[in-house]
Amino acid sequence: MIKKKKLPEATIPTSSMADIAFLLLIFFLVATVIDVDSGIGMTLPEFIEDVETVEVPKDRMAALLINETGDVLLDGQPISLFQITATLKPRIQSKIDLPKNKKLIVSLKTDRRTVYNAYIQALDQVKEAFFEVRDEYSNSKFGQKFNDLDETSQNEVKEAVPIIISIAEPEKIK
Amino acid sequence: MKFEKKRASTKQEIPTASMPDIIFMLLLFFMVTTTLREVEVFVNYSLPEAKAIEKIENRRLISYIWVGQDSRIQINDSLVKMEEIQGIMYAKRQSLPNVIVSLRIDKNTDMGYVTDIQQELRKAFCLRINYSANIKI
Repeated sequence: MIKKKKLPEATIPTSSMADIAFLLLIFFLVATVIDVDSGIGMTLPEFIEDVETVEVPKDRMAALLINETGDVLLDGQPISLFQITATLKPRIQSKIDLPKNKKLIVSLKTDRRTVYNAYIQALDQVKEAFFEVRDEYSNSKFGQKFNDLDETSQNEVKEAVPIIISIAEPEKIK
Repeated sequence: MKFEKKRASTKQEIPTASMPDIIFMLLLFFMVTTTLREVEVFVNYSLPEAKAIEKIENRRLISYIWVGQDSRIQINDSLVKMEEIQGIMYAKRQSLPNVIVSLRIDKNTDMGYVTDIQQELRKAFCLRINYSANIKI
């Protein structure tokens, strides 16, 4: 009888595996850019050639005008940029219980020479006002902040406090 | 009588057998979260700052337009003219119907210029936009 030769155990050396994995890990650590895209979201109106103008009652409108030096006019009254939130908040709140077609519209108008930064600052203030009202409303109704709500209640809050911002086209050069 | 030192019978080694697994887990995490930069930005810009910022949930929907300090416009990896925006964006919208256009505009740009871009976007039916801004602390 012939004895079979014992085969040596075949193993892959795994001691260097950790090193290889480490190398890959370091590569991806270095290459990763976790920059979240954040910004102020808006929806533009559709492009229609001849726009039909709709009259909006004055108490429904909050007209913001920013001129080229960065001064702000709210409904004809000069106002500081940082007061916009505080001024708009009560006006939004007073319209929570009104039907959908009576909510506040914020119209934002700029000059052609206005600096973009001033526009963003104003838009930020307006958004801030809407967000704060939403938070307060959802806090009083659901006892939670708007972002913590589930989708159906979020929609309910959105219905009560819709964000309506109209970007008016800037006036042609005077 | 001989005294013998008592020695702990347990091994004094940290088990390293599972180390590769742990590293691979980390590796997978970073591989999944990584988005390698696809385009090189030619224009120089600094974003405005804002507080009421929302995060864009879906990265795949985003398409960027850069506007630099010198009012040059970049889409994808090339500089474009104002008149070309409409065509490019319309093509983008056809391949990706609910595209979100992220506007990375330098903070000292004139609003007239921004509005012109917005008009082009409206003509291209790219209506969802996002003014990119940094968080103000």
